[in-house]
Amino acid sequence: MSDHSVAHGTFVIDREFAHPVGKVFAAWSDPKRKSKWFGDPNNPPKVFEFKPGGRESSSGQIPNGPMFEFDVTYQDIVPDNRIVYSYDMHMDGRKISVSLAAIEFAPTKTGTKIRMTEYGLFLDGLDNMEQRKAGTLSLIGALGAYLDKA
Amino acid sequence: MSAPNRNVTHAMFAIQRTFPQSPARVFRAFADPKAKAKWFHGPAEEWSQETSEMDFRIGGRERSVGQLHSDAIPHVFNAIYQDIVADQRIVFSYDMEIGAQRISVSLTTIELSPEGEGTRMLFTEQGAYLDGYDDAGARERGTRGLLDQLARSLMD
Repeated sequence: MSDHSVAHGTFVIDREFAHPVGKVFAAWSDPKRKSKWFGDPNNPPKVFEFKPGGRESSSGQIPNGPMFEFDVTYQDIVPDNRIVYSYDMHMDGRKISVSLAAIEFAPTKTGTKIRMTEYGLFLDGLDNMEQRKAGTLSLIGALGAYLDKA
Repeated sequence: MSAPNRNVTHAMFAIQRTFPQSPARVFRAFADPKAKAKWFHGPAEEWSQETSEMDFRIGGRERSVGQLHSDAIPHVFNAIYQDIVADQRIVFSYDMEIGAQRISVSLTTIELSPEGEGTRMLFTEQGAYLDGYDDAGARERGTRGLLDQLARSLMD
């Protein structure tokens, strides 16, 4: 009938940081801190509403590459405990994915464990789960580097 | 931990159904507020629907509130439409609240394709079930009940 396809994929990332849970959570909840590790530092989010029902919207261009837009709806937030949100991604104006993501935070003796669980719909063959997981691992690496410096 | 009873359970279910009506007719049962109101509600004899507001377009939201006669606790469905391809695909995420508790956040994909004169539907839902208030088995049973109501509404 058409080239409209949906590929479903899921991945889980577990990571431990040697920082208290309040600090790790704030790296997501505070737009200034989040901008230090997430997204394009020259293009801060146009919208950042960290509350259930709130939105976040940002865009950025890969040098000599495509323009990406990232739009979030926050759906459940428990401070220092969890963030559940859905988001979609556009590449050069085409929707490439819709995802449901949950980040769970738990204190440990020496820091904080996070578990990110993501479920994605990759639309019309424009992206896939392996690329998204690789991108997310790279973001979590950037978050770790930011926390160690902050 | 400040709230030791907090937890998130992730689970998916998928339902395949066929309908004798065309993809355009089945799609309309989701897209048209009047057509959707005929089937998108709790069990008819036990349910009072209070609010049904929907803005069926990409980025649009939907809010539906109703309650069972037996407990009079509001059930709130809050959705945002994330992708729509007419007669073919609807993607939305939603959360459910019962009373003051948010019990789940889910991402739903409905894919429609022609099968003979009728329609094949693939309904896929991933849920994050919060703090033990609900689970994928119950949600799948509820969804199957809704799709039965949808099928009956299509015969009108």
